[in-house]
Amino acid sequence: MISLIFWSEDVPTMITREYIPVEPEALSGDIFRIVSHPIMQEVYRFRHIIARAVRDFLDKEGFVEFDPIMIGPVTDPGTRGAYEFRIPYYGREYRIMRSGILYKQLLAAAMEEGKVYFFYPNLRHEPLDAGKTGRHLVEFVQIDLEVRDADHLEVMKIAERLIKHVIDHLRDYEDRLRRIWEFFGSKRPFLPEISLPLRRMTHEEAVDILMEHARRGEVIEELEKRFNVKKPERRLSYKAEIPWEWEWYLSKINEQPFFIQDYPKGARGFYDREYPNRPGILMDFDLLAPEGHGELSSGAAREYDASRVFARMKESGENPELYKWYLEFLRDHGRPTAGFGIGMERLVKYICDLPSVHLARPAPKVPGVHSP
Amino acid sequence: MSYPIEEIFRRARLGSASLLDGIALGADADPMKSFLDDILLLPPLFTPQRLEKGIELLREPLYVDVGTEVEVGGFKLRMPITCAPPGGRIADLSGPRIAEVCAEMGIAYSLGENIAPVRGYDVRLTDQPSFKERALSYLENLRGEYGGLIIQQGVKDEDLKLWERIYSDPDFDPYIERGLIAFEIKAEQIYLGDAKDEFMDDPGSALGGRYPASRTFTEEILAGQIRLLRNNFPRVRLFLRTGPYRDLDRVIEIASREGVDAITLDGEGAWISSLAGARVPALVCLSSISRARERGIETSMMISGMLYDGPSVLKSIALGADAVSLGEPVIYACLGGSKLSGLVKKLLGRNSRGLESLLGVAIKECRRGLMNYLKSIEVEMKVLASALGKYHVNRICKEDVCSLSRELADLFRIKYIYAPGGFPENWEIIQRYLEGLEHSPHADLMHR
Repeated sequence: MISLIFWSEDVPTMITREYIPVEPEALSGDIFRIVSHPIMQEVYRFRHIIARAVRDFLDKEGFVEFDPIMIGPVTDPGTRGAYEFRIPYYGREYRIMRSGILYKQLLAAAMEEGKVYFFYPNLRHEPLDAGKTGRHLVEFVQIDLEVRDADHLEVMKIAERLIKHVIDHLRDYEDRLRRIWEFFGSKRPFLPEISLPLRRMTHEEAVDILMEHARRGEVIEELEKRFNVKKPERRLSYKAEIPWEWEWYLSKINEQPFFIQDYPKGARGFYDREYPNRPGILMDFDLLAPEGHGELSSGAAREYDASRVFARMKESGENPELYKWYLEFLRDHGRPTAGFGIGMERLVKYICDLPSVHLARPAPKVPGVHSP
Repeated sequence: MSYPIEEIFRRARLGSASLLDGIALGADADPMKSFLDDILLLPPLFTPQRLEKGIELLREPLYVDVGTEVEVGGFKLRMPITCAPPGGRIADLSGPRIAEVCAEMGIAYSLGENIAPVRGYDVRLTDQPSFKERALSYLENLRGEYGGLIIQQGVKDEDLKLWERIYSDPDFDPYIERGLIAFEIKAEQIYLGDAKDEFMDDPGSALGGRYPASRTFTEEILAGQIRLLRNNFPRVRLFLRTGPYRDLDRVIEIASREGVDAITLDGEGAWISSLAGARVPALVCLSSISRARERGIETSMMISGMLYDGPSVLKSIALGADAVSLGEPVIYACLGGSKLSGLVKKLLGRNSRGLESLLGVAIKECRRGLMNYLKSIEVEMKVLASALGKYHVNRICKEDVCSLSRELADLFRIKYIYAPGGFPENWEIIQRYLEGLEHSPHADLMHR
């Protein structure tokens, strides 16, 4: 886990001797002192600047913004074991959205523009070990977009242009950003120059690279120590999601954001489309930030044929009965769509080079921590 | 077919002392036939492994020297047994007590059958213990390194997302961290549905509410479920429980390929009673395990159904299983420990009103009955293994068993007892070697 307190002697006098706790448990303390801290105020301002840059980009690209739909009879299954929150709803039990994926497909198919986005608040009751990654929050916001008649390769191009747009826009604010970097002990001298296209590797290639690195004792030792896992080399698999510690490692050895695409079927939900001619491989991707920041975004071409979705729901142990409205929508109006979601807090963490994602929003909900 | 309740009650009452009063060690003349009754454990005179053990101990080894601890699906168990009590009123009443005994005995305990939605996850929805009460009565009573909790997600639990909830529950986290939790996929094509709350329309009305419902599986669906669970819950063990289907060989193949930690083949699933005859015999389930071993599959495998004593556990191990999963017998043992067991037994099977109140009283003594019963199996296994000259149950293998019928011998590729004119006079053992099956059995005739 990250060290208890980040302290910097080099920050302007105004904030010398003030500190910000990086250990999530400390957040239950004096919340006002934290949110009013000059550095934290700057982080929150950058969150605002980033959001504006994102909206600016998407609006120019012809997207229509929607307000999030917060509750419904079913939410997407999520992955990696996060539980859903439920609320009573006129004699039934409704779910709070873990993501807007079902609704954004609906709206991309329905809207004449065929391009929609949300700033979607998501609630996920993450397992406790996710609280130790520095990358997971129970309450967070996704920039969630969907494009009709597109596939994953097309939306990957949108994702990389979006990232470049945001970072280029922030170059005007580099001096202010540097104060945040220095405060949190970042060694970053400048914002990275993003050159497109970003590197693309398949899941298989990514695992190949990691398997190669897993032969080195010092790599294993570092991961065991940093993430408190035993034998991380055994957790690598061509059939499953890349474990957190390895994703961090892969991110660390890269200097530019990069894509991992073509995940194996078991790693994702029923909505990621399977290549029609490559069974078991999904038309999807993750966009990872460099410098150890890890996953920024996940996206895919969607499975839109109702019968395929039904079979995929069975494979993932979902009850199709709950997804009635969604299956009927696909059956009657299903169109190819593709999209992705970018974690807002993760984007802020990457740009501000914060040690943990919970510093990217006020009153963060870290798995297992009872904070304000 | 039903379990020999009398015999289980007797064990529950007397514990291992029950083994000494005449009908012990498989010599029981009870009319109920276990599917393994035609397979015999046959001790040899020459026991080189006992000599080895003697050299280690520097004395003649005794039955108490037999090791029974095994590893199943990553769990360390004090003996090759897991308890998977079926649902229902009795299990409800005795749930936490059964859990405690299993924990103390260091054997795995299985929770399932929609307990969470019906009885509540943490807060009780009825007067019966909630899911968490049962789970924690097991986990908190574990001693030392033995044991493991197996959690099924029933049909109704799918909507409840039971696994996700457990996985993010701080009360379970320390046990997940210690590797003591398994999630068990129930690959059952047919289960007893409850029309009332499962489907929009009510197909059950013709069958009085409960009805056999079908669930869709394909090879791809099974593989997909296993992969997704592996991906979503990397910190728990992954078990698979399935029933007496004709394509079990493929099920085992796929499950082990996808990397489940353990497979349980239930020869007598609860739904069976509604579809008598529509299944392969439990024996064939065991033969699937046997064949899987011959194909080199090393995944932990358990067998369940009409097995309830030491000999049947050892026979199952000899034929390739790693452990036996006990269902109904656990409940009988619970009831049998009571002073009122005679009365309970009389009322069992009858739809008596008196039974309900009697059960409430009898269940209070559940602990003693189950403990006695499990201990009797443990001692029995040790005595038999020692007689076979083996000082660890996992050394029991095909050489230790014979079949009374030619067909069974062929099915399991084991020795065959040719017994014209009756048993045990006038019989001979025909040794069958794996590669020699096609040959005439008489070519391998053993010394009479």
